[in-house]
Amino acid sequence: MSSRRLFFNEAIARALAEEMEREDKLVVLGQDVGAYGGAYKEFAGLYERFGAQRVRDTPVAEAATIGIALGAAAAGLRTLVSITYMDFLILGLEPLVNYAAKARYKTGGAVRVPAVVKTTAGAKGQGVAHAQCIESWLMGVPGLKVVAPSNPADAYGLLKTSLREEGPVVFVDHKRLFSTAGEVPETNEVSMPLGKAAIVRPGTDVTLAAHSYAVRIAVEAAERLEPAGVSCEVIDLRTLAPLDVESIGESVARTRALVTLEEGQPACGVGSEVAFRVRERLDVGIRVARVAARPAPVSSNAVLEAEVLPDAARVVETTLTLLEGR
Amino acid sequence: MPDRPDPVDLLRSMLLIRKFEEALAFQPDRGFQLLSSGEEAVAVGVCAALDDRDQLLSSGRSIGPALARGIEPHLVMAELLGKISGPNRGKGGRGHLASPDDGFFGAHAVVGGNLSIAAGVSLAAQLEGRGAVVACIFGDGACGAGALHETLNIAALWKLPLIFVCDNNGFSISTPVARGVAAERLSDLAIPFGIPRRTVDGMDVFAVYEAAREFADVARRGDGPGFLECRSERFASHSTSTRETRSNEELAAARERCPILHLGARLEADGTLDAAGRSALEKDVEELVSRAIRFSGEAPRPSPDDALSDVV
Amino acid sequence: MIFTLVVPGPIEDVEEIRVLEWHGEPGRRFAPGDVVVELETHKAIVEIRAAQAGILRRILHPEGSWQRLGEPLAILSDAESEPLPATPELGGKEWAVEFQIT
Repeated sequence: MSSRRLFFNEAIARALAEEMEREDKLVVLGQDVGAYGGAYKEFAGLYERFGAQRVRDTPVAEAATIGIALGAAAAGLRTLVSITYMDFLILGLEPLVNYAAKARYKTGGAVRVPAVVKTTAGAKGQGVAHAQCIESWLMGVPGLKVVAPSNPADAYGLLKTSLREEGPVVFVDHKRLFSTAGEVPETNEVSMPLGKAAIVRPGTDVTLAAHSYAVRIAVEAAERLEPAGVSCEVIDLRTLAPLDVESIGESVARTRALVTLEEGQPACGVGSEVAFRVRERLDVGIRVARVAARPAPVSSNAVLEAEVLPDAARVVETTLTLLEGR
Repeated sequence: MPDRPDPVDLLRSMLLIRKFEEALAFQPDRGFQLLSSGEEAVAVGVCAALDDRDQLLSSGRSIGPALARGIEPHLVMAELLGKISGPNRGKGGRGHLASPDDGFFGAHAVVGGNLSIAAGVSLAAQLEGRGAVVACIFGDGACGAGALHETLNIAALWKLPLIFVCDNNGFSISTPVARGVAAERLSDLAIPFGIPRRTVDGMDVFAVYEAAREFADVARRGDGPGFLECRSERFASHSTSTRETRSNEELAAARERCPILHLGARLEADGTLDAAGRSALEKDVEELVSRAIRFSGEAPRPSPDDALSDVV
Repeated sequence: MIFTLVVPGPIEDVEEIRVLEWHGEPGRRFAPGDVVVELETHKAIVEIRAAQAGILRRILHPEGSWQRLGEPLAILSDAESEPLPATPELGGKEWAVEFQIT
């Protein structure tokens, strides 16, 4: 299959352009998504191509914007609503959690909400309320799907799939990913199902499970551990809900050791859910450790930010400690 | 849609809500309900201004709006009593009753939570371009919520075909509106957004209808939203399990304003509906209600397995 | 003398760029201040200007191709007749440039 190298934000814009071309009812809403092209240019070109009716700038009103996007989807459109920073998604959790996630259930199937809430997580010097990774909050909401790609090809593939789902999907990208580049298949087909993890680096001694930007950290840690004789299998979760416990479990059944890595908080985090679900699944003894943000807000102060965020060095150290006396 | 609704139809619709709720109150397993008794004219007057293309959304006080919009009473009763024959297979109940095919897009039992959803439904209607409008009934309590102000702003900016209907029954559970919202007249909240507004007697079904009709016509023409405040009375406490905070005298005064009483007297006085006609009407309505009770009594409850269906 | 034009940096957030447009074919003589090439990041254009004179001898990365920061883009020389090294990537000292991000 032929492919083309794209920046991460270009992969998002391309997926949206293709889906908007295919589906007249798809409407994009959010702050600065119009002529400005999105805070990270991830909507570049859409306004010029599809016009102001379908690419709608919204006021600074996350709660109503999300509600409007979800209500419009419930009433027959398909919508993607952009919430610039995931911290502000908190303002719109009411319509997302209380209405959209439950709409199908509470109406006995009479109402579906085919909408994508796209939002950007991650710390990058902007401070405590522009930095959070709260995707684990959403994993426990019945009716929500949560997607968090780590590279342009997955962003493209998973966004296209998300835009064709019949229920609400939260699509989480990351500030540090937009400038990364990668090969994206030229095909216009949708072939990347939600709920499938990917082995991005095979290994035999320990499974490193991560999602979004943290996958890059996991790969870096795996490269550093190789000379020390530790072979790491890196798994990119890609979708957090539903979680591909089968693939992670299959890997951990071989390595017998699991290190989870995430940029969010450790308590009730993605890693604790992954580890518990893997333990429930396997009847063999496994070693488990987790790496996450330290339990503090993420400051805009570079020294403090670096201290709180997980990095490859902490993954290396945690992995070596876990495997001690193997 | 006829230019002016038949007053007897409006009376029938209000009577249906009243008698339906009286019968519901007698059901031993009725559970937690928010009743519309006293506030019938709001739902009925608004629905008289809507046509088949349109959608109505309500707060959790949904029984009046759902019946006024024309969902079959036996189906509403089944839903309220948790039977799988309800439009939502008994999963939504009163708080989340929905039947979009009947033009009742649904209740959402979070105060103010239905507003932005309704604006979204009206955006879909606007883009569809068939001239449909959306009405959203919410309580006075929602007027203190940010959701209203955010939604008013966007509805005005985008000229959404949306009628904001504030059913101001005077109380958020125990808090009088004067202590819950700083604005003296709730429709004044529309002023800064340039949205046309009216405050009407919510106990007068024609006053409600006429104002709602005016806003529906404006919205249908593409001229944007309207804000209709209906001053009503709730005849019971907030819910079937909430303590009443008003005195007997206050309640009696509220009941004096009964919309059914007033319309009935007027129709009798002007010769539209004589005593025989009235009793035939009551009998029709009682039969509908009896059928609803019978139907829902016989309808099955969901199986425990249904707890895990229609989730994702 | 032989020089190498490399992708300048650091550019905040950027690891990799795409070549947008070369301003001239091999053989063109650049004076200080001339725009040599425009590069694309994920959200900006980086305009590379000559900070010394030189003749463009060989383009290593045509328009639309990708390169990482610090890696070579082209070979230049002072004189037209200077022989190019067999492996151009290894050739010469870094050519002085200025860049502006817009």
